[in-house]
Amino acid sequence: MALDVRIPAREDAASRLDEGAQTQGAVPGQTRDYFRQKVWLTWAVLCALLGAAFYALHLDFGYVGQKLPFLLGIRLSPDGFIQGAVLTVFVTGCSMIFALMVAFLTALGRLSRNPVAFAIATFYASLFRGTPLMVQVLIIYLALPQVGVVLGGLTSGLIALSLNYGAYLAETIRSGLMAVPAGQREAAMALGLPRWVAAWKIIAPQALRLIIPPAGALFVSMLKDSSLVSLMGLWELNFLAQSYARSSFHYMEMLLAAALIYWGLSIVFEVVQLRLERRFGKGVAARGAHATGPRKA
Amino acid sequence: MLVCVPLTHAGTTLDRVKRTGVLNDVLVESYPPFGFIDAGNQLAGFDVDVAKAFAARLGVTLKLATPGWETIMSGRWQGRWDICICSMSPTEERAKVLSLPVQYYSSPAVLTVHKNEQHIKTVADLSGKRVGVGMGSSYENYVNKTLVIPGAAPIAYPFRDVVAIPGDETVNFRNLALGPGVRLDAIISDLATAKAAVESSHALKIVGPVIYAEPNVVATEKGDTDWDHTVARIFNAMKTDGTLAKISQKWFGQDITHDGP
Repeated sequence: MALDVRIPAREDAASRLDEGAQTQGAVPGQTRDYFRQKVWLTWAVLCALLGAAFYALHLDFGYVGQKLPFLLGIRLSPDGFIQGAVLTVFVTGCSMIFALMVAFLTALGRLSRNPVAFAIATFYASLFRGTPLMVQVLIIYLALPQVGVVLGGLTSGLIALSLNYGAYLAETIRSGLMAVPAGQREAAMALGLPRWVAAWKIIAPQALRLIIPPAGALFVSMLKDSSLVSLMGLWELNFLAQSYARSSFHYMEMLLAAALIYWGLSIVFEVVQLRLERRFGKGVAARGAHATGPRKA
Repeated sequence: MLVCVPLTHAGTTLDRVKRTGVLNDVLVESYPPFGFIDAGNQLAGFDVDVAKAFAARLGVTLKLATPGWETIMSGRWQGRWDICICSMSPTEERAKVLSLPVQYYSSPAVLTVHKNEQHIKTVADLSGKRVGVGMGSSYENYVNKTLVIPGAAPIAYPFRDVVAIPGDETVNFRNLALGPGVRLDAIISDLATAKAAVESSHALKIVGPVIYAEPNVVATEKGDTDWDHTVARIFNAMKTDGTLAKISQKWFGQDITHDGP
């Protein structure tokens, strides 16, 4: 719920596939259908071109079919653990949750008036954004044991991914929180709402609307960066594709199969992001529909 | 899971294996035919079969892990793994960070070129050429003239200015198969892996005499002499009674487990 204190209706920053036409202003339904049809048609043509390119590579599709159940993770690994795409999704999902928690705390620290909290938050964000993820993964896996902390490959990977992406996400969350006009909080105070109600019901929904698109992009990126845990011998999608390729000399087949699976998973992420965007953008879209006159960007 | 371990002292590894009844063995899963993932998604190869035989002798369950070559050979396992039956060649650097209790096979280093290659016939023809070697392998040391095999005669380097291209060995073989000199001029590797690559690509050939004899050893974490003695005793017994020879016959059609080139 946003307190309507006469903010100029803003252009929705997110490009929404289905409502691409709508964001250009009030468009009749017919035009919107036309736009949508053209979008799907172009997608279909591009997919066909990509498919033709694969076909021209003379791939051994039989081999891909044989390895697909393992790549997708429908079957368990030899030691009975999840593997392939299932492990990739598991690693990404867990890291996402931890990264969100870390990022939220860091964003609060960044906005805090307490100098120690501010220093810790900025130090952490700077350190983890300023060093390569691969180095972080290896340090956590290989260097921590030297001081007596021996972590498994999975734990090390989750920690590295969570801390790295938490640092980036913190900035996203901070910018979202800062973008909510101060008037919103002041209006909530004026109405006598308690602080937590103001934060939860007034600030959070408006900030989320701005946080979701860049956060979604980060999670799609994390999905693919999760392949770095293969450095520690976890049998996730990238690890299996590379190992099969090396054992059988079927490089193109395995790399392309893995790429397509990553892409498919990314599309699922994108759809989830779109739905969340729509849910949290509702109030703005409704306001936009009633707005008269030219919109301000 | 978070496990705090005290510093390694004599008996640690052996105690742990006895207590848990599990042998944690590491190997490389992209080094066919010594270690690879087979059609049924199981780890297979010479090294895997040797590990199975060793664990059976010890009377414990075998657990395999594939943490990557660099991780394995940089040592300091801190109790993560008990043994590496992973085709490691003994070098002075490795002996500093790992214990190398026993040799289990010997396979020579050979030179592989594209089948249309006309000029490279022995390693003496490698001057100024680009030579693919496994990243962090003893062959990389050889090309850079820094290979010292403990207890063996010094190695001759009849070439100069060779450009070492370290990378994944199977990726290197694929690059060499593109044509002579396209990305690589030659590869120096183990005879058995070279044979496997030649068979699967049909575009490569092994040339020249054996470059140097290369022992391959079992590695353990430094500091547990009891464990090292146990490992050496069991491996020597498996050599004597023909267990290793039988596994070698299965994978290579010959016995590579007896000493000598």
